[in-house]
Amino acid sequence: MARVTQVRYPEQGYALIWFRGDRQLAGNPGQFVMVRGDWGNDPILGRAFSLVESGEEEAILVRVVGVGTRRLAELKPDDPLWVLGPSGHGFALPASDQNPVLVAGGVGIAPLYFLAKKIRETGGRATVLYGARNNRETPLAEEIEEFADLVVTTEDGSAGRRGLVTEPLAEILDDTSVARIVYSCGPEAMLEAVARACVDRQVECQIALESPMACGKGTCKGCAVLAADGRYRYVCSDGPVFESREIYKS
Amino acid sequence: MAVRLGPLELKNPIMVASGTFGYGVEYADVMDISAIGAISVKGISLEPRAGNPPPRICETPAGMINAIGLANIGYDAFVQTTLPRLRELGATVVVNLYGTSADEFAELAERFDSQEGIAALEVNISCPNVKAGGIHFGVRPEPAAAVTRAVRERTGLPVIVKLSPEAVNIAEVAKAAREAGADALSLINTIRGMSIDVETRRPRLGSVMGGMSGPAIRPLAVRLVYEVHKAVDVPLIGIGGISCLRDVLEFMMAGATAVQIGTANYTNPRTSLEILSDFEKYCLERGVTPAELVGTVKTN
Repeated sequence: MARVTQVRYPEQGYALIWFRGDRQLAGNPGQFVMVRGDWGNDPILGRAFSLVESGEEEAILVRVVGVGTRRLAELKPDDPLWVLGPSGHGFALPASDQNPVLVAGGVGIAPLYFLAKKIRETGGRATVLYGARNNRETPLAEEIEEFADLVVTTEDGSAGRRGLVTEPLAEILDDTSVARIVYSCGPEAMLEAVARACVDRQVECQIALESPMACGKGTCKGCAVLAADGRYRYVCSDGPVFESREIYKS
Repeated sequence: MAVRLGPLELKNPIMVASGTFGYGVEYADVMDISAIGAISVKGISLEPRAGNPPPRICETPAGMINAIGLANIGYDAFVQTTLPRLRELGATVVVNLYGTSADEFAELAERFDSQEGIAALEVNISCPNVKAGGIHFGVRPEPAAAVTRAVRERTGLPVIVKLSPEAVNIAEVAKAAREAGADALSLINTIRGMSIDVETRRPRLGSVMGGMSGPAIRPLAVRLVYEVHKAVDVPLIGIGGISCLRDVLEFMMAGATAVQIGTANYTNPRTSLEILSDFEKYCLERGVTPAELVGTVKTN
């Protein structure tokens, strides 16, 4: 059992929760934890969250969408937190000659924040394209600017460029003077558009998927996604990070 | 803490339910899987099965609905890679069988009969998530008896038959399975439920319907254990929304000799061990054996 150490609210409806257990999780960017508060039988399942940080500090970013996430967002320092993980396969770091472009949609920023930080620590610097509906849905945008080059796009133009995040992505990928690698996490439609943009230009692309999940450990077979080969993959144990070509048909 | 279910003796009455604990080996890093009474492994079919289209699970009040569709690695892979590992880990293994016909069940029973390290077979005639077989065998006495008999004739292992809460008359199905050679009965499997996303007007499961589990169905399960215990002389394994010691006691008082923990394994994979520790303490403090609790509910 872990304990909450700190909670911050980067935007209305979001909570950044730091916690500490008996041991360091030592998770990698893209890996996730199953998390649950001490609240009895309802809701009954844990919730899967990408690690935003791991090691000295462990953190997750919660967007409030229902009862479980609301209860998590209401946690206070020292509250108990049940944590299982880290689980799944994370992102493979870029090769030394690859310029990393990270494409986030909304709360999909969580694993990419961790990845951008890791890239900085290993001597690189990522370009982060952060798409959101409006300027109230860009948690961690300020923090990520400390160690990455940030481009924000919003659908209503209230922050950064007006439009979709795939537009600056296309511009960057069309400049073929440097080798790129793309990492993405966000809504399904965005991931598919990002994957397509990469396939069209023969750029490697790794995506982190999300799915309802019960066990988070590869046993319940609840988090199936249909892959490009017509067979199922399990987000928790085969992913959550996949090569985009494995999931989307080109 | 030992309990006896006909020819099957377990070191304690706390088991984990099929489909909620994988093949057991996945949890060796978070707990000693040999400490619990038995692991009923994910249902095994002759051939591997891919399972149903997603989404396969959704959460409901105090429970969940699943429509996994018995995705499993199949007999060969289980016997070649998983079973040896379970033996190494010292787990007490109950193999849950799934076939689309009585013949397939019989074939599986015969193949498992010659394998080392299996404590019992659990015959799944109650899965609501498959097109063929499954629940269709479990809602009436005749097909339930036919499948049980087919398995019984091909194995010397203890046979547990897992019952559906959707049986037209569960006591009659229980009686038929008993007479056809079942050594024990486990109940209940999930009951079919449905949930709709009212924004999109679409079912929340790819298969439209699925099996409900968790504390939400516990009173139904307790009632069915109670009814079968009154009607049929056969050892029972109670299943349905058990998440703490209190729930175990409730099922035992209703007539169960042992219990299986299901959905609560997702809440915390160590639930069975934690409940076992509480149960041992309870028996010690009260000076009772598990068997002395069975069927002790006072209804008059």
